[in-house]
Amino acid sequence: MASRVEILNEGGFRSDGRRQFELRSIEMDLSQQGHADGSAVITHGLTQVLVSVFGPREAKLRSQTIHDRANINVEISIVPFSTGDRRKRSRGDKRILEFAAAIKSTFEPAIQTSLYPRSQIDVFVQVIQQDGGLLQACINGTTLALMNAGIPMVDFICAVNGGVHSTRPLLDLTLLEENDVPNVTIAVMPKTQKISLVTMETRLHVDRFEEVFRLATEAGLVLHEEMKSAILGRSKELINSIDLGNNTRGGDGDDDGMTGLN
Amino acid sequence: MTSTSLSKAEKSYIQAGLLATPSSRADGRSLTDYRTIALETSVAPLANGSARVSIGRNPHDGSGGTEVLAAAKLEVENLEQGSSGVEGGRIACSVTCSPAAYPHLSSSALDDLQYDMSTILHDTLTHRSLHPKNLGILPGKKAWLLNLDLVVLVDSGNIYDALFMAARAALWDTKVPRTRSVEYKARKNGAATSAASRIGGSGDMDVDEEVVSGFDTRQIQHATDFELPDYWDEGDVLDGRERWPICVTLNFVSPVHFLDATTQEEAATPLRVLLMFAFESEQSVNVQGMRTLGGSDLTSTQLAELLKDGEKYARDIWQSLNTKLKEENIGRIKERNKF
Repeated sequence: MASRVEILNEGGFRSDGRRQFELRSIEMDLSQQGHADGSAVITHGLTQVLVSVFGPREAKLRSQTIHDRANINVEISIVPFSTGDRRKRSRGDKRILEFAAAIKSTFEPAIQTSLYPRSQIDVFVQVIQQDGGLLQACINGTTLALMNAGIPMVDFICAVNGGVHSTRPLLDLTLLEENDVPNVTIAVMPKTQKISLVTMETRLHVDRFEEVFRLATEAGLVLHEEMKSAILGRSKELINSIDLGNNTRGGDGDDDGMTGLN
Repeated sequence: MTSTSLSKAEKSYIQAGLLATPSSRADGRSLTDYRTIALETSVAPLANGSARVSIGRNPHDGSGGTEVLAAAKLEVENLEQGSSGVEGGRIACSVTCSPAAYPHLSSSALDDLQYDMSTILHDTLTHRSLHPKNLGILPGKKAWLLNLDLVVLVDSGNIYDALFMAARAALWDTKVPRTRSVEYKARKNGAATSAASRIGGSGDMDVDEEVVSGFDTRQIQHATDFELPDYWDEGDVLDGRERWPICVTLNFVSPVHFLDATTQEEAATPLRVLLMFAFESEQSVNVQGMRTLGGSDLTSTQLAELLKDGEKYARDIWQSLNTKLKEENIGRIKERNKF
């Protein structure tokens, strides 16, 4: 490899001090953001994404409605200062559209869209910082935001990317590693262990693929535990505040207790 | 431009509340009260300066509230013919609205809206009187381009005040890297070597054989390139950073005006007046821009009064914003000295 940085040194450490299979620190913030029905801020190391979900609601355009299920509309915007060199991408940028299409197709099997015919679920992804693993952050953030919005889903979707440095597989690549190493992003539904997305823009030897695939799937299951505990934590918080609201009101007005949440 | 639709009854209810004595607003504020403003600088690690401003965000669950993210990023620009660079550097502002901030707007309406905001911000901030002096690098050759990008994450009313506040904080926070110009000189004996020899190929050297006359008043710049002398320091702050303007939106429901409207109040207000003030010091104030939004009209005496009141409000904001920004600065220095 003709790079100046050592992707994996002899001691088995990567450029940011992680081990081969170590994931970056993950932070999940499920608090309310703006007017969204559900939102999540997810941070994978230095990659940070804010996802807001609106809906199910009436579609803005009649032409976008589907008669037997909900339409999922994904829009991505990347802030111009999220990368090292400033670059402004417009809404119609092909790369962004492709990204949005990937997220949409990932979530189509997981969301129970048939429950909401002729409606639309809007997913707005705002990329705040990027340092590799953008697609995995977007997918994980979208899972959390959808659940936060109370949209019925069959399962979680947990995404992890992985790559291979010479013969050794790596997980959760940073931008530096992504530029150097063939990499693949995998989104897994942990309950059934089905895969809803495999995407690769680089070339990877077919003999190496299986190992990366297996490792990324395993990492997805680990991520699932984290995401589950975040969702449970958020739900507990909400239930507590409902109880709090009921107590201060002396237990009257059962639907009034909800105003404390909005 | 407001994304909420309000019924006639709701509108008149809000207006009646504003016109009553004492006035009553939905959240219990008086006419000239702001919601709580939160500000944080240096939020984007990859920018030269950045800030996040939120107005009226609920401190308990983080809901509601207008939220704006601003970041300044510097780029080196060539000043040759045909390139867009300007002697002494230039500033370019752009505003992006997240679709989540305006969930009811179609994407083309969103584009229009962010274009409107960009224009107002760009026109005000790039005025000659505000231009910082330290954006030049090499006279006639290279200069900095300061890209100021703002992102509206949530709009719950009073977006222009938030935008200007965020822009001001980000520009305040901006550090311009120090540069040193590099010059090539020929030695007298003809063996050409470069004076600040880093790039030192003899082919691209400016050979200057003449003895410099004391009467030569022509200031010819020989510097051909520049280097960054230190990399551990972030650089100098922008020149004249106290001057960056502040915007006050006066929402006018004849005969009263009120500040910091929420989305509903904005929808019930027939006319909004944006006033941009730049403070050289406590005393000297410039009106840097003015804009009316909405379909209603205004007499010139009313406008004069609004201007006078607006200046008073702007001064309050200016003072508290400066205090906050200085605090942030001190906090940052303490943080750095810990190591």
